Amino acid sequence: MQRISVTERPNLANIAAEHELEHIADQGITGWNESAYYQFTRRQIEEDLTGPVEEIENLCFEVVDRAVNNQEVLSRLGIAEPFWDYIAESWRNGEKNLYGRMDLSYHGEGPVKLLEYNADTPTALYETSVLQWEWLEQATELELIPRGCDQLNDVHESIVNVFPKLDIRTMSHFACNHNIEDDKGTLDYLEECAREAGLKTCSIAMKDIGLDDEGRFIDFDGQVINTLVKLYPWEWIMAEDFGPHIPSSGTQFIEPPWKAILSNKGLLPLLWGMFEGHPNLLPAFFEDDPAAAAFANAGSYVRKPMLSRQGENIKIVHEGKIIFQSDGPYGSDAHILQGFHPLPVLDCGYPLIGCWLVASKAVGLCIREDKTLVTGRDSRCIPHVILD
Amino acid sequence: MKSWSSRSAALMMSVSLIALTACEEPKVDASIYESIGQCKSDPHNTADQCEGSFKEASSQHAAVAPKYSSAEDCQADFGQGKCEEAPYKTSSGGSVFMPLMMGYMMGRRNSMMSQPLYRSAKSPNSFRTAENQNVGSKTGGTKVARSAASRPSFKNSTRSRGGFGSSARRFGSAAT
Repeated sequence: MQRISVTERPNLANIAAEHELEHIADQGITGWNESAYYQFTRRQIEEDLTGPVEEIENLCFEVVDRAVNNQEVLSRLGIAEPFWDYIAESWRNGEKNLYGRMDLSYHGEGPVKLLEYNADTPTALYETSVLQWEWLEQATELELIPRGCDQLNDVHESIVNVFPKLDIRTMSHFACNHNIEDDKGTLDYLEECAREAGLKTCSIAMKDIGLDDEGRFIDFDGQVINTLVKLYPWEWIMAEDFGPHIPSSGTQFIEPPWKAILSNKGLLPLLWGMFEGHPNLLPAFFEDDPAAAAFANAGSYVRKPMLSRQGENIKIVHEGKIIFQSDGPYGSDAHILQGFHPLPVLDCGYPLIGCWLVASKAVGLCIREDKTLVTGRDSRCIPHVILD
Repeated sequence: MKSWSSRSAALMMSVSLIALTACEEPKVDASIYESIGQCKSDPHNTADQCEGSFKEASSQHAAVAPKYSSAEDCQADFGQGKCEEAPYKTSSGGSVFMPLMMGYMMGRRNSMMSQPLYRSAKSPNSFRTAENQNVGSKTGGTKVARSAASRPSFKNSTRSRGGFGSSARRFGSAAT
Protein backbone atom coordinates (compact mmCIF):
# COMPACT_ATOMS: atom_id res chain seq x y z
CA MET A 1 0.00 0.00 0.00
CA GLN A 2 1.22 3.50 -0.70
CA ARG A 3 1.38 6.49 1.58
CA ILE A 4 0.92 9.61 -0.52
CA SER A 5 1.46 13.18 0.66
CA VAL A 6 -1.38 15.53 -0.22
CA THR A 7 -2.37 19.15 0.28
CA GLU A 8 -4.68 19.69 3.21
CA ARG A 9 -8.05 21.26 2.57
CA PRO A 10 -8.11 25.01 3.23
CA ASN A 11 -9.93 26.23 6.37
CA LEU A 12 -9.31 23.22 8.58
CA ALA A 13 -10.28 25.37 11.55
CA ASN A 14 -13.77 25.86 10.08
CA ILE A 15 -14.09 22.17 9.31
CA ALA A 16 -13.12 21.34 12.89
CA ALA A 17 -15.70 23.83 14.21
CA GLU A 18 -18.45 22.28 12.07
CA HIS A 19 -17.72 18.87 13.52
CA GLU A 20 -17.11 20.18 17.05
CA LEU A 21 -13.53 18.91 17.04
CA GLU A 22 -10.47 20.56 18.51
CA HIS A 23 -8.21 22.49 16.16
CA ILE A 24 -4.79 23.83 17.15
CA ALA A 25 -3.05 26.38 14.92
CA ASP A 26 0.00 24.88 13.14
CA GLN A 27 -1.04 21.41 14.28
CA GLY A 28 -4.40 20.95 12.63
CA ILE A 29 -7.37 18.93 13.85
CA THR A 30 -6.56 16.89 16.95
CA GLY A 31 -6.50 13.17 16.22
CA TRP A 32 -6.69 13.69 12.44
CA ASN A 33 -4.00 14.10 9.81
CA GLU A 34 -4.92 14.85 6.21
CA SER A 35 -1.47 15.80 4.99
CA ALA A 36 -1.26 12.30 3.54
CA TYR A 37 -3.46 9.33 2.66
CA TYR A 38 -3.04 5.61 2.10
CA GLN A 39 -3.94 4.11 -1.23
CA PHE A 40 -5.10 0.53 -1.69
CA THR A 41 -6.17 -1.47 -4.71
CA ARG A 42 -9.60 -3.10 -4.72
CA ARG A 43 -7.92 -6.51 -4.66
CA GLN A 44 -6.01 -5.58 -1.50
CA ILE A 45 -9.21 -4.42 0.19
CA GLU A 46 -11.29 -7.44 -0.74
CA GLU A 47 -8.76 -10.26 -0.65
CA ASP A 48 -6.31 -9.09 1.99
CA LEU A 49 -8.62 -7.17 4.33
CA THR A 50 -12.42 -7.56 4.30
CA GLY A 51 -12.39 -11.26 3.40
CA PRO A 52 -9.97 -12.28 6.18
CA VAL A 53 -11.64 -9.91 8.71
CA GLU A 54 -15.04 -11.55 8.19
CA GLU A 55 -13.40 -14.94 8.44
CA ILE A 56 -11.74 -13.94 11.74
CA GLU A 57 -15.17 -12.82 12.98
CA ASN A 58 -16.46 -16.33 12.32
CA LEU A 59 -13.49 -17.84 14.17
CA CYS A 60 -14.36 -15.52 17.06
CA PHE A 61 -17.93 -16.83 17.10
CA GLU A 62 -16.55 -20.35 17.39
CA VAL A 63 -14.47 -19.21 20.35
CA VAL A 64 -17.55 -17.71 22.01
CA ASP A 65 -19.58 -20.83 21.33
CA ARG A 66 -17.00 -22.98 23.07
CA ALA A 67 -16.28 -20.50 25.88
CA VAL A 68 -19.91 -20.11 27.01
CA ASN A 69 -19.96 -23.82 27.87
CA ASN A 70 -16.59 -23.76 29.62
CA GLN A 71 -16.38 -22.29 33.10
CA GLU A 72 -12.63 -22.65 33.22
CA VAL A 73 -12.29 -20.41 30.16
CA LEU A 74 -14.72 -17.81 31.49
CA SER A 75 -12.87 -17.77 34.76
CA ARG A 76 -9.51 -17.44 32.94
CA LEU A 77 -10.87 -14.36 31.17
CA GLY A 78 -11.53 -12.83 34.57
CA ILE A 79 -15.31 -13.00 34.20
CA ALA A 80 -16.97 -13.47 37.60
CA GLU A 81 -19.21 -16.49 38.20
CA PRO A 82 -22.53 -14.59 38.58
CA PHE A 83 -22.20 -13.67 34.90
CA TRP A 84 -21.44 -17.09 33.41
CA ASP A 85 -25.05 -18.19 32.84
CA TYR A 86 -26.07 -14.67 31.85
CA ILE A 87 -23.39 -14.49 29.14
CA ALA A 88 -24.14 -18.02 27.94
CA GLU A 89 -27.85 -17.22 27.62
CA SER A 90 -27.19 -13.99 25.74
CA TRP A 91 -25.23 -16.04 23.18
CA ARG A 92 -27.76 -18.87 22.94
CA ASN A 93 -30.60 -16.37 22.56
CA GLY A 94 -28.74 -14.79 19.67
CA GLU A 95 -28.65 -11.30 21.21
CA LYS A 96 -27.66 -8.94 18.45
CA ASN A 97 -24.34 -7.09 18.19
CA LEU A 98 -23.91 -3.71 16.54
CA TYR A 99 -20.25 -3.00 15.82
CA GLY A 100 -16.58 -3.53 16.56
CA ARG A 101 -13.11 -2.73 15.19
CA MET A 102 -10.31 -5.20 14.53
CA ASP A 103 -6.79 -3.81 14.72
CA LEU A 104 -4.50 -5.36 12.14
CA SER A 105 -0.91 -5.27 11.06
CA TYR A 106 -0.64 -5.18 7.26
CA HIS A 107 2.28 -4.47 4.96
CA GLY A 108 0.46 -4.23 1.64
CA GLU A 109 0.79 -7.86 0.74
CA GLY A 110 0.64 -11.17 2.50
CA PRO A 111 -1.79 -12.17 5.16
CA VAL A 112 -3.02 -9.48 7.51
CA LYS A 113 -2.39 -10.28 11.20
CA LEU A 114 -4.92 -9.70 13.96
CA LEU A 115 -3.36 -7.70 16.80
CA GLU A 116 -6.54 -7.21 18.84
CA TYR A 117 -10.32 -7.02 18.58
CA ASN A 118 -12.02 -3.95 20.05
CA ALA A 119 -15.37 -5.62 20.24
CA ASP A 120 -17.13 -3.58 22.93
CA THR A 121 -16.15 0.11 22.96
CA PRO A 122 -14.19 0.92 19.77
CA THR A 123 -12.98 4.48 19.26
CA ALA A 124 -12.45 6.56 16.09
CA LEU A 125 -15.98 5.89 14.85
CA TYR A 126 -16.74 9.48 13.87
CA GLU A 127 -13.40 9.97 12.13
CA THR A 128 -13.97 6.80 10.12
CA SER A 129 -17.59 7.26 9.23
CA VAL A 130 -17.99 10.99 8.79
CA LEU A 131 -14.71 12.88 8.70
CA GLN A 132 -12.99 10.50 6.34
CA TRP A 133 -15.92 10.38 3.92
CA GLU A 134 -16.30 14.15 3.83
CA TRP A 135 -12.55 14.41 3.13
CA LEU A 136 -12.91 12.02 0.17
CA GLU A 137 -15.75 14.05 -1.36
CA GLN A 138 -14.13 17.43 -0.83
CA ALA A 139 -10.59 16.37 -1.79
CA THR A 140 -12.01 14.98 -5.03
CA GLU A 141 -13.94 18.17 -5.73
CA LEU A 142 -10.90 20.31 -4.99
CA GLU A 143 -8.82 18.00 -7.20
CA LEU A 144 -6.40 17.27 -4.37
CA ILE A 145 -6.73 13.56 -5.18
CA PRO A 146 -7.38 11.83 -8.49
CA ARG A 147 -10.97 11.41 -9.75
CA GLY A 148 -12.46 7.98 -9.29
CA CYS A 149 -11.12 7.36 -5.79
CA ASP A 150 -13.35 5.24 -3.60
CA GLN A 151 -13.09 4.34 0.09
CA LEU A 152 -14.00 1.32 2.20
CA ASN A 153 -16.65 3.24 4.08
CA ASP A 154 -20.27 2.16 4.37
CA VAL A 155 -20.18 2.68 8.12
CA HIS A 156 -22.87 5.35 8.46
CA GLU A 157 -25.44 3.66 6.21
CA SER A 158 -24.72 0.27 7.79
CA ILE A 159 -25.25 1.52 11.32
CA VAL A 160 -28.49 3.29 10.35
CA ASN A 161 -29.74 0.15 8.55
CA VAL A 162 -28.80 -2.16 11.41
CA PHE A 163 -30.32 -0.21 14.31
CA PRO A 164 -33.94 -1.23 13.51
CA LYS A 165 -32.81 -4.87 13.33
CA LEU A 166 -31.38 -5.02 16.84
CA ASP A 167 -34.66 -6.13 18.48
CA ILE A 168 -34.98 -2.86 20.38
CA ARG A 169 -38.53 -2.81 21.75
CA THR A 170 -39.14 0.76 22.90
CA MET A 171 -36.90 3.69 23.73
CA SER A 172 -33.15 3.18 23.88
CA HIS A 173 -30.95 4.96 26.38
CA PHE A 174 -27.45 5.95 25.31
CA ALA A 175 -24.95 6.03 28.16
CA CYS A 176 -21.30 6.78 28.76
CA ASN A 177 -19.10 8.76 31.11
CA HIS A 178 -20.12 12.31 30.22
CA ASN A 179 -16.83 13.71 31.53
CA ILE A 180 -14.86 12.27 28.61
CA GLU A 181 -15.56 14.43 25.52
CA ASP A 182 -14.38 11.80 23.05
CA ASP A 183 -16.64 9.13 24.50
CA LYS A 184 -19.61 11.52 24.59
CA GLY A 185 -18.93 12.62 20.99
CA THR A 186 -18.87 9.04 19.73
CA LEU A 187 -22.00 8.19 21.65
CA ASP A 188 -23.85 11.30 20.41
CA TYR A 189 -23.04 10.23 16.86
CA LEU A 190 -24.39 6.72 17.50
CA GLU A 191 -27.53 8.24 18.96
CA GLU A 192 -27.97 10.44 15.88
CA CYS A 193 -27.72 7.33 13.71
CA ALA A 194 -30.38 5.60 15.80
CA ARG A 195 -32.68 8.60 15.42
CA GLU A 196 -32.05 8.70 11.71
CA ALA A 197 -33.19 5.09 11.70
CA GLY A 198 -36.42 6.16 13.38
CA LEU A 199 -35.70 4.95 16.91
CA LYS A 200 -36.69 6.84 20.06
CA THR A 201 -33.63 7.65 22.12
CA CYS A 202 -32.38 9.58 25.08
CA SER A 203 -29.04 10.17 26.68
CA ILE A 204 -27.87 9.52 30.25
CA ALA A 205 -24.59 9.55 32.15
CA MET A 206 -23.57 6.14 33.52
CA LYS A 207 -23.44 7.54 37.04
CA ASP A 208 -27.05 8.78 36.79
CA ILE A 209 -28.48 5.32 36.14
CA GLY A 210 -30.64 4.25 39.07
CA LEU A 211 -32.07 0.99 40.35
CA ASP A 212 -35.63 0.56 41.56
CA ASP A 213 -36.72 -1.85 44.25
CA GLU A 214 -37.74 -4.41 41.67
CA GLY A 215 -34.12 -4.51 40.48
CA ARG A 216 -34.74 -2.71 37.20
CA PHE A 217 -32.43 0.02 35.93
CA ILE A 218 -34.12 3.41 35.73
CA ASP A 219 -33.17 6.76 34.26
CA PHE A 220 -33.25 10.15 35.88
CA ASP A 221 -37.02 10.43 35.41
CA GLY A 222 -37.69 7.04 36.95
CA GLN A 223 -38.39 5.43 33.58
CA VAL A 224 -37.29 1.82 33.26
CA ILE A 225 -34.29 1.42 30.94
CA ASN A 226 -35.30 -1.32 28.52
CA THR A 227 -32.34 -1.00 26.17
CA LEU A 228 -28.97 0.50 27.05
CA VAL A 229 -26.50 1.36 24.30
CA LYS A 230 -23.36 1.85 26.35
CA LEU A 231 -19.98 3.25 25.46
CA TYR A 232 -18.71 1.76 28.70
CA PRO A 233 -16.93 -1.56 29.00
CA TRP A 234 -18.45 -4.81 30.16
CA GLU A 235 -15.55 -5.54 32.47
CA TRP A 236 -16.18 -2.24 34.26
CA ILE A 237 -19.94 -2.57 34.76
CA MET A 238 -19.66 -6.19 35.88
CA ALA A 239 -17.33 -5.09 38.68
CA GLU A 240 -19.19 -1.95 39.81
CA ASP A 241 -21.80 -1.66 42.61
CA PHE A 242 -24.79 -2.25 40.31
CA GLY A 243 -22.99 -5.16 38.60
CA PRO A 244 -24.74 -7.95 40.53
CA HIS A 245 -28.11 -6.54 39.43
CA ILE A 246 -27.35 -6.77 35.71
CA PRO A 247 -28.33 -10.40 35.07
CA SER A 248 -31.82 -9.97 36.55
CA SER A 249 -32.45 -6.41 35.37
CA GLY A 250 -34.20 -7.35 32.14
CA THR A 251 -32.27 -4.60 30.32
CA GLN A 252 -31.10 -5.31 26.78
CA PHE A 253 -27.46 -4.23 26.39
CA ILE A 254 -25.70 -3.14 23.22
CA GLU A 255 -23.09 -4.52 22.85
CA PRO A 256 -24.62 -7.75 24.22
CA PRO A 257 -23.05 -9.60 27.19
CA TRP A 258 -21.35 -12.30 25.06
CA LYS A 259 -19.13 -9.55 23.57
CA ALA A 260 -17.33 -9.53 26.94
CA ILE A 261 -15.54 -12.67 25.73
CA LEU A 262 -14.27 -10.93 22.59
CA SER A 263 -13.38 -7.53 24.01
CA ASN A 264 -10.88 -9.24 26.29
CA LYS A 265 -7.34 -9.85 25.00
CA GLY A 266 -7.65 -13.36 26.39
CA LEU A 267 -9.45 -13.89 23.07
CA LEU A 268 -6.05 -14.06 21.36
CA PRO A 269 -4.71 -17.15 23.15
CA LEU A 270 -8.15 -18.74 22.82
CA LEU A 271 -8.05 -18.19 19.03
CA TRP A 272 -4.51 -19.54 18.81
CA GLY A 273 -5.48 -22.52 20.94
CA MET A 274 -8.33 -23.44 18.59
CA PHE A 275 -6.84 -22.36 15.26
CA GLU A 276 -3.08 -22.62 15.69
CA GLY A 277 -1.23 -21.78 12.50
CA HIS A 278 -4.08 -19.83 10.90
CA PRO A 279 -2.46 -17.29 8.51
CA ASN A 280 -4.25 -14.27 10.01
CA LEU A 281 -3.46 -15.08 13.64
CA LEU A 282 -0.35 -14.48 15.71
CA PRO A 283 0.82 -16.98 18.33
CA ALA A 284 -0.62 -16.03 21.73
CA PHE A 285 -0.61 -17.56 25.20
CA PHE A 286 -1.98 -16.82 28.65
CA GLU A 287 1.04 -15.76 30.68
CA ASP A 288 0.56 -18.55 33.22
CA ASP A 289 0.41 -21.18 30.47
CA PRO A 290 3.60 -23.33 30.50
CA ALA A 291 3.87 -22.81 26.73
CA ALA A 292 4.20 -19.06 27.36
CA ALA A 293 7.58 -19.48 29.07
CA ALA A 294 8.99 -21.40 26.12
CA PHE A 295 7.60 -18.79 23.77
CA ALA A 296 9.12 -15.94 25.77
CA ASN A 297 12.50 -17.68 25.77
CA ALA A 298 12.64 -17.46 22.00
CA GLY A 299 13.18 -13.73 22.59
CA SER A 300 10.45 -11.86 20.68
CA TYR A 301 7.00 -11.20 22.09
CA VAL A 302 4.54 -8.55 23.19
CA ARG A 303 3.22 -8.65 26.74
CA LYS A 304 -0.26 -7.13 27.18
CA PRO A 305 -2.73 -6.98 30.08
CA MET A 306 -5.94 -8.79 29.20
CA LEU A 307 -8.02 -5.68 29.78
CA SER A 308 -5.84 -2.67 28.93
CA ARG A 309 -6.82 0.02 26.47
CA GLN A 310 -5.23 2.69 24.26
CA GLY A 311 -1.78 1.16 24.26
CA GLU A 312 -1.22 1.30 28.00
CA ASN A 313 0.88 -1.17 30.01
CA ILE A 314 2.43 -2.82 26.93
CA LYS A 315 5.91 -4.31 26.78
CA ILE A 316 7.63 -5.38 23.56
CA VAL A 317 10.67 -7.64 23.69
CA HIS A 318 12.66 -8.29 20.53
CA GLU A 319 15.73 -10.49 20.29
CA GLY A 320 15.86 -10.56 24.06
CA LYS A 321 15.78 -6.79 24.58
CA ILE A 322 12.90 -4.59 25.73
CA ILE A 323 12.33 -2.22 22.81
CA PHE A 324 9.12 -0.61 24.03
CA GLN A 325 7.36 -0.20 27.34
CA SER A 326 4.37 1.95 28.27
CA ASP A 327 2.84 2.88 31.61
CA GLY A 328 -0.74 2.79 32.69
CA PRO A 329 -3.24 1.67 35.33
CA TYR A 330 -3.68 -1.89 34.06
CA GLY A 331 -0.36 -3.36 35.23
CA SER A 332 -1.83 -5.56 37.95
CA ASP A 333 -4.19 -7.43 35.59
CA ALA A 334 -3.54 -10.90 34.21
CA HIS A 335 -1.44 -10.79 31.02
CA ILE A 336 -1.06 -12.53 27.71
CA LEU A 337 1.95 -12.93 25.43
CA GLN A 338 1.54 -12.45 21.70
CA GLY A 339 3.99 -12.92 18.83
CA PHE A 340 5.74 -9.71 17.81
CA HIS A 341 4.71 -8.70 14.30
CA PRO A 342 5.89 -5.13 13.94
CA LEU A 343 3.75 -2.52 12.24
CA PRO A 344 5.21 -1.29 8.95
CA VAL A 345 7.10 1.99 9.06
CA LEU A 346 6.16 4.39 6.31
CA ASP A 347 7.57 7.91 6.34
CA CYS A 348 6.14 9.53 9.41
CA GLY A 349 5.02 6.72 11.59
CA TYR A 350 3.59 3.29 12.15
CA PRO A 351 0.15 2.76 10.57
CA LEU A 352 -2.32 0.51 12.32
CA ILE A 353 -5.21 -0.66 10.16
CA GLY A 354 -8.57 -0.69 11.90
CA CYS A 355 -11.29 -2.59 10.10
CA TRP A 356 -14.84 -1.79 11.21
CA LEU A 357 -17.51 -4.43 11.37
CA VAL A 358 -21.19 -3.50 11.59
CA ALA A 359 -23.43 -6.48 12.32
CA SER A 360 -20.35 -8.61 11.56
CA LYS A 361 -19.86 -7.28 8.03
CA ALA A 362 -16.56 -5.51 7.24
CA VAL A 363 -17.73 -2.07 6.06
CA GLY A 364 -15.11 0.46 7.05
CA LEU A 365 -11.43 1.09 7.37
CA CYS A 366 -9.61 3.60 9.50
CA ILE A 367 -5.87 3.93 9.67
CA ARG A 368 -4.19 5.40 12.70
CA GLU A 369 -0.58 6.47 12.75
CA ASP A 370 1.54 6.71 15.84
CA LYS A 371 5.17 7.70 16.26
CA THR A 372 5.80 4.49 18.20
CA LEU A 373 5.22 0.78 17.65
CA VAL A 374 2.23 0.82 20.01
CA THR A 375 -0.75 2.89 18.90
CA GLY A 376 -1.81 5.10 21.77
CA ARG A 377 -3.81 8.17 22.61
CA ASP A 378 -1.61 10.50 20.54
CA SER A 379 -2.24 8.59 17.33
CA ARG A 380 -3.93 10.37 14.45
CA CYS A 381 -6.42 9.02 11.93
CA ILE A 382 -5.29 9.26 8.35
CA PRO A 383 -7.70 8.87 5.42
CA HIS A 384 -7.43 6.23 2.72
CA VAL A 385 -8.62 5.71 -0.84
CA ILE A 386 -9.18 2.75 -3.10
CA LEU A 387 -7.83 3.29 -6.58
CA ASP A 388 -6.92 0.67 -9.13
CA MET B 1 -22.98 5.61 -1.06
CA LYS B 2 -24.88 8.79 -0.11
CA SER B 3 -22.92 11.97 0.29
CA TRP B 4 -22.54 13.56 3.71
CA SER B 5 -24.72 16.53 2.76
CA SER B 6 -27.67 14.22 2.22
CA ARG B 7 -26.80 12.40 5.45
CA SER B 8 -26.99 15.62 7.44
CA ALA B 9 -30.24 16.75 5.79
CA ALA B 10 -31.93 13.48 6.73
CA LEU B 11 -30.56 13.83 10.24
CA MET B 12 -31.88 17.35 10.74
CA MET B 13 -35.31 16.34 9.53
CA SER B 14 -35.63 13.44 11.95
CA VAL B 15 -34.48 15.56 14.88
CA SER B 16 -37.01 18.35 14.23
CA LEU B 17 -39.85 15.82 13.85
CA ILE B 18 -39.08 14.48 17.29
CA ALA B 19 -39.08 18.00 18.77
CA LEU B 20 -42.49 18.72 17.24
CA THR B 21 -44.21 15.64 18.63
CA ALA B 22 -43.20 16.48 22.20
CA CYS B 23 -45.23 19.72 22.19
CA GLU B 24 -48.56 18.34 21.09
CA GLU B 25 -50.19 17.01 24.30
CA PRO B 26 -53.45 18.83 25.23
CA LYS B 27 -53.37 21.12 28.27
CA VAL B 28 -55.79 21.71 31.13
CA ASP B 29 -56.28 24.60 33.57
CA ALA B 30 -54.66 24.25 37.01
CA SER B 31 -53.57 26.35 39.96
CA ILE B 32 -50.16 25.88 41.55
CA TYR B 33 -49.13 27.30 44.93
CA GLU B 34 -46.12 27.01 47.19
CA SER B 35 -48.22 27.41 50.35
CA ILE B 36 -51.77 27.87 51.68
CA GLY B 37 -50.94 31.57 52.17
CA GLN B 38 -50.05 32.01 48.51
CA CYS B 39 -53.26 30.21 47.52
CA LYS B 40 -55.39 32.47 49.71
CA SER B 41 -53.84 35.61 48.25
CA ASP B 42 -55.15 34.55 44.82
CA PRO B 43 -58.64 36.15 44.60
CA HIS B 44 -59.78 33.22 42.45
CA ASN B 45 -59.96 30.94 45.54
CA THR B 46 -61.84 30.88 48.82
CA ALA B 47 -59.96 30.15 52.05
CA ASP B 48 -61.85 26.85 52.37
CA GLN B 49 -60.82 25.77 48.91
CA CYS B 50 -57.17 26.56 49.71
CA GLU B 51 -57.16 24.69 52.98
CA GLY B 52 -59.10 21.73 51.62
CA SER B 53 -56.79 21.35 48.61
CA PHE B 54 -53.68 21.65 50.72
CA LYS B 55 -54.96 18.96 53.07
CA GLU B 56 -55.80 16.66 50.20
CA ALA B 57 -52.35 17.13 48.61
CA SER B 58 -50.35 16.73 51.79
CA SER B 59 -52.29 13.64 52.84
CA GLN B 60 -51.06 11.96 49.64
CA HIS B 61 -47.47 13.18 49.92
CA ALA B 62 -45.95 10.36 51.98
CA ALA B 63 -47.60 7.71 49.82
CA VAL B 64 -46.87 9.11 46.36
CA ALA B 65 -43.46 10.79 46.73
CA PRO B 66 -40.50 8.92 45.17
CA LYS B 67 -38.72 6.82 47.79
CA TYR B 68 -35.05 6.16 48.45
CA SER B 69 -33.20 3.79 50.71
CA SER B 70 -30.55 6.42 51.44
CA ALA B 71 -30.65 10.12 52.19
CA GLU B 72 -27.73 10.66 49.79
CA ASP B 73 -29.58 9.16 46.84
CA CYS B 74 -32.63 11.28 47.59
CA GLN B 75 -30.51 14.42 47.89
CA ALA B 76 -28.70 13.59 44.63
CA ASP B 77 -32.08 13.93 42.91
CA PHE B 78 -33.66 16.70 44.99
CA GLY B 79 -30.81 18.65 46.57
CA GLN B 80 -29.06 19.00 49.91
CA GLY B 81 -31.47 19.48 52.79
CA LYS B 82 -34.47 18.85 50.53
CA CYS B 83 -35.32 15.35 51.77
CA GLU B 84 -36.98 13.93 54.85
CA GLU B 85 -37.49 10.53 56.39
CA ALA B 86 -40.62 8.76 55.14
CA PRO B 87 -43.02 7.00 57.55
CA TYR B 88 -42.05 3.60 56.12
CA LYS B 89 -39.33 1.01 56.54
CA THR B 90 -37.68 -1.17 53.89
CA SER B 91 -38.32 -4.92 54.02
CA SER B 92 -35.02 -5.28 55.86
CA GLY B 93 -36.02 -2.65 58.41
CA GLY B 94 -33.98 0.23 57.01
CA SER B 95 -35.03 3.86 56.79
CA VAL B 96 -36.75 5.30 53.75
CA PHE B 97 -36.29 8.86 52.50
CA MET B 98 -38.40 11.11 50.30
CA PRO B 99 -38.23 14.68 48.97
CA LEU B 100 -39.93 17.52 50.85
CA MET B 101 -43.28 18.64 49.47
CA MET B 102 -42.60 22.02 47.85
CA GLY B 103 -46.07 23.01 46.74
CA TYR B 104 -49.36 21.67 45.49
CA MET B 105 -51.53 21.71 42.42
CA MET B 106 -55.30 21.97 42.38
CA GLY B 107 -57.99 22.34 39.75
CA ARG B 108 -59.06 25.73 38.35
CA ARG B 109 -62.62 25.86 37.01
CA ASN B 110 -62.52 22.08 36.85
CA SER B 111 -62.71 19.09 39.12
CA MET B 112 -59.02 18.14 39.09
CA MET B 113 -57.93 16.45 42.30
CA SER B 114 -55.18 18.14 44.31
CA GLN B 115 -51.71 16.63 44.46
CA PRO B 116 -48.34 17.43 46.03
CA LEU B 117 -45.51 18.98 43.99
CA TYR B 118 -41.72 18.74 44.25
CA ARG B 119 -38.61 20.49 42.90
CA SER B 120 -35.67 18.50 41.49
CA ALA B 121 -32.04 19.46 42.07
CA LYS B 122 -31.42 19.66 38.34
CA SER B 123 -34.28 22.08 37.64
CA PRO B 124 -35.02 23.79 40.97
CA ASN B 125 -37.18 26.50 39.41
CA SER B 126 -39.86 24.16 38.09
CA PHE B 127 -42.41 22.09 39.91
CA ARG B 128 -42.72 18.36 39.29
CA THR B 129 -45.49 15.95 40.14
CA ALA B 130 -44.83 12.75 42.06
CA GLU B 131 -44.77 11.05 38.64
CA ASN B 132 -41.89 13.39 37.75
CA GLN B 133 -43.82 15.40 35.18
CA ASN B 134 -42.71 18.99 34.82
CA VAL B 135 -45.63 21.40 35.39
CA GLY B 136 -43.63 24.58 34.92
CA SER B 137 -42.50 27.31 37.26
CA LYS B 138 -45.59 29.54 37.24
CA THR B 139 -47.66 29.87 40.41
CA GLY B 140 -51.34 30.85 40.41
CA GLY B 141 -53.43 30.03 37.35
CA THR B 142 -51.57 28.06 34.69
CA LYS B 143 -51.96 25.30 32.10
CA VAL B 144 -50.45 21.84 32.49
CA ALA B 145 -50.33 18.72 30.31
CA ARG B 146 -53.47 16.66 30.80
CA SER B 147 -51.49 13.59 31.80
CA ALA B 148 -49.84 15.56 34.62
CA ALA B 149 -53.25 16.13 36.20
CA SER B 150 -54.01 12.47 36.82
CA ARG B 151 -53.82 11.02 40.29
CA PRO B 152 -50.26 10.07 41.30
CA SER B 153 -49.54 6.45 42.18
CA PHE B 154 -48.44 4.95 45.47
CA LYS B 155 -44.61 4.53 45.49
CA ASN B 156 -43.95 1.52 47.61
CA SER B 157 -40.46 0.74 46.32
CA THR B 158 -37.18 2.54 46.91
CA ARG B 159 -34.63 3.49 44.34
CA SER B 160 -30.88 3.99 44.46
CA ARG B 161 -28.51 5.65 42.02
CA GLY B 162 -24.84 5.92 41.16
CA GLY B 163 -23.96 2.22 41.10
CA PHE B 164 -22.26 2.63 37.72
CA GLY B 165 -19.45 4.97 36.75
CA SER B 166 -16.78 4.38 39.39
CA SER B 167 -14.30 2.62 37.05
CA ALA B 168 -14.22 5.64 34.80
CA ARG B 169 -12.82 7.67 37.69
CA ARG B 170 -9.93 5.20 37.84
CA PHE B 171 -9.31 4.52 34.16
CA GLY B 172 -10.61 7.51 32.20
CA SER B 173 -11.83 6.93 28.67
CA ALA B 174 -13.75 3.79 27.85
CA ALA B 175 -12.63 3.78 24.23
CA THR B 176 -10.23 1.18 22.82
